[in-house]
Amino acid sequence: MNILELHNLKKYFATQKAVDDISLEIGKGKIFGLLGPNGAGKTTLIRMITGIFYPDAGEIILKGKKFDPENDAQYIGYMPEERGLYKKMKIGEQALYLAQLKGMGKQDAMHKIKDWFKRLEMESWWNKKVEDLSKGMGQKLQFVITVLHEPDLIILDEPFSGLDPINANLIKDEIYRLAQNGTTIIFSTHRMEQVEEICDHIALVNKGKKILDGTVADVKQNYKENLFSVQLEGIPSTINSASFNLVNTYKQELIVKINEGYKANDVLNYFISNESNIVSFKEILPSLNDIFIKLVEGTPTARQFETISA
Amino acid sequence: MKKIFLIIQREFLTRVRKKTFIIGTILFPLLYLALIFGTGYIAEKTKEDLKVALIDNSGLFTQNLLTETNAGDTLNKLKLLTTDSENIIAHFDSLGYDGYMVIPQNFDWKKGVDSILINTKKSFGLGAFSPIEKKLNNAWKKIRNDSLGIDTVKEKIIAKNISLKLNNEKNKTANAGAATMIGYVCGFLMYLILLLYGSQVMMGVTEEKTNRIAEVVVSSVKPFQLMIGKIVGIGMVALTQFLIWIACIFLIYNLTKSSEASGGAASSIVGDIQRIFTTVNIPLVVGCFIFYLLGGFFFYSSLYAAIGSAINEDMREAQSLSFPITMLVIFSIALMTPAIANPSSKIAVWASIIPFSSPIVMMARIPFGVPNTVPWWQLGLSMVFLIVGFMLTTWFAARIYRTGILMYGKKPSWKEMIKWAFTK
Repeated sequence: MNILELHNLKKYFATQKAVDDISLEIGKGKIFGLLGPNGAGKTTLIRMITGIFYPDAGEIILKGKKFDPENDAQYIGYMPEERGLYKKMKIGEQALYLAQLKGMGKQDAMHKIKDWFKRLEMESWWNKKVEDLSKGMGQKLQFVITVLHEPDLIILDEPFSGLDPINANLIKDEIYRLAQNGTTIIFSTHRMEQVEEICDHIALVNKGKKILDGTVADVKQNYKENLFSVQLEGIPSTINSASFNLVNTYKQELIVKINEGYKANDVLNYFISNESNIVSFKEILPSLNDIFIKLVEGTPTARQFETISA
Repeated sequence: MKKIFLIIQREFLTRVRKKTFIIGTILFPLLYLALIFGTGYIAEKTKEDLKVALIDNSGLFTQNLLTETNAGDTLNKLKLLTTDSENIIAHFDSLGYDGYMVIPQNFDWKKGVDSILINTKKSFGLGAFSPIEKKLNNAWKKIRNDSLGIDTVKEKIIAKNISLKLNNEKNKTANAGAATMIGYVCGFLMYLILLLYGSQVMMGVTEEKTNRIAEVVVSSVKPFQLMIGKIVGIGMVALTQFLIWIACIFLIYNLTKSSEASGGAASSIVGDIQRIFTTVNIPLVVGCFIFYLLGGFFFYSSLYAAIGSAINEDMREAQSLSFPITMLVIFSIALMTPAIANPSSKIAVWASIIPFSSPIVMMARIPFGVPNTVPWWQLGLSMVFLIVGFMLTTWFAARIYRTGILMYGKKPSWKEMIKWAFTK
């Protein structure tokens, strides 16, 4: 079952088509990566999903029903990119207040906050103020506040920025744990290595449009360029085959691109018949980073202002 | 509704628990009194003693006469000089005089002259020489009295005056003095509360915006709920502070009631408070004050909230955008003075009905008596207009707020903000 479906969402601002006809489906318990360069429309899209903005057109289906921002807030947890907390408020009170705003009862909220604080070793923070926390500590607190009310859908905008590796792993483990328990996570970032590591499914957004959508494995398969790495004991002085072109050579390793109509075995056959000793042979799949750059490259780095005739 | 209540509660408690609130509540009345008495005291203390040389060519001003007039006011001195006048005129400042004047030879005790020049080498304020002027005239009066054979007994008889006292037949207890005083206090208090707490709302909204907490909160509540919660919460803080002050005044009233009866010790201030309580309808004034405090506060603070949502970190942006709103408050306080001087005049009536100025001007008029000075229909109309007024400003502000709170970057102009309000 899909927890969230977006059908032809549109949001136009005075000078930009921030989100221009985007449709998405996100399954329950999935970790979904929402990617895109700066100004692609990710934040606007997220703001519509969280009910902060109303879409100009299209509809949002949450848990099989039309999204009702007023009453569905409890099902969504949102951690914006720019972290926001009351600086002068005590941490315990702040967590309690924000949990109650999400519709939790006081006792229930108290109980869960204590639980989370214990698990993330934040118990001693209760009476401290946010201004006393370091950036990373603030981040942890923000994460707890986001997930405290056990939402079905959690939206994290750059959740690891400012965290040291230990705390980043801590949060990562929590994300996995939540996903295993059936929580869906939308993960907005431009850190591709994290996406590759964490996400099941990704969508790439650029200039307000979705330009790519699929599982991480599928996307990589679709964008592979038939590149293989061949390691040999000794590199022959001349390599000439109709089955492949030599792309690059590093010491003992050759990068080859297999030509249309040929297979990996043809490459192996060539080297075997030339009596070269093969040490290793593997396919090179493009990283998401490469795919991202390839797809987004060529569009200006900053979005231009345009006039919209609605 | 439950969420709005949560927001109100947070806004209220975080402010009331602050030390600044407690200190402000205690210190403000003290500072207010210090300001009133302090300025009078400083004005008295900083008065400059003037020494002026009088060069008499007419021979009418005698040494005895001047000694007598100088005895009345010892701070400023008129010194008669008959000899060596050229030297005095040339070097009066180095001889320790602030100025000199010359009485012409043809000075006639019957006609006098229209004016006499006082020559100085420094700049003085407009009224600086009025004690000297008074002295000169006293001396001349003495000369005339002596010439006409009027002694001090006759002079006292001539100087008798009749003063007019106001008697409102409809309202025997009316006391214009007490009403004026209460009117001023109410008007100024309202003015201070509107400006101070209005800017608190503005800064609170800006803080939420720049902290980005607004984005977290509006994903769980509507922007309108967040704005109203903040306004009502801060309004409650203002009301609490006001009620504490009122309670203190009642306490003083009740404590001093017995001490006045026992006589003597009660100071004149306490006596004033006692008189005010007996001549002005205090429950009505307090009740109306609470209504106009809340109404005026909602009217202005929603506009301040809209501005707070539009600006970014820079407080200068706040100043330039809030200038028109602040001007409205200042304009109202400017209207208060003529309204108190004549509480039934057209300007007073209309200024107390139109919503933007009504909280201040109406509060200045009410102590003069309802329904004698302020008829019931005026009070009712003013209240209805204020309610309608703040509903309109809140609606308008909410539409700016929901766009502004998530908009970062350039400061919008008023024109752009109005566009936000009237587009979907």
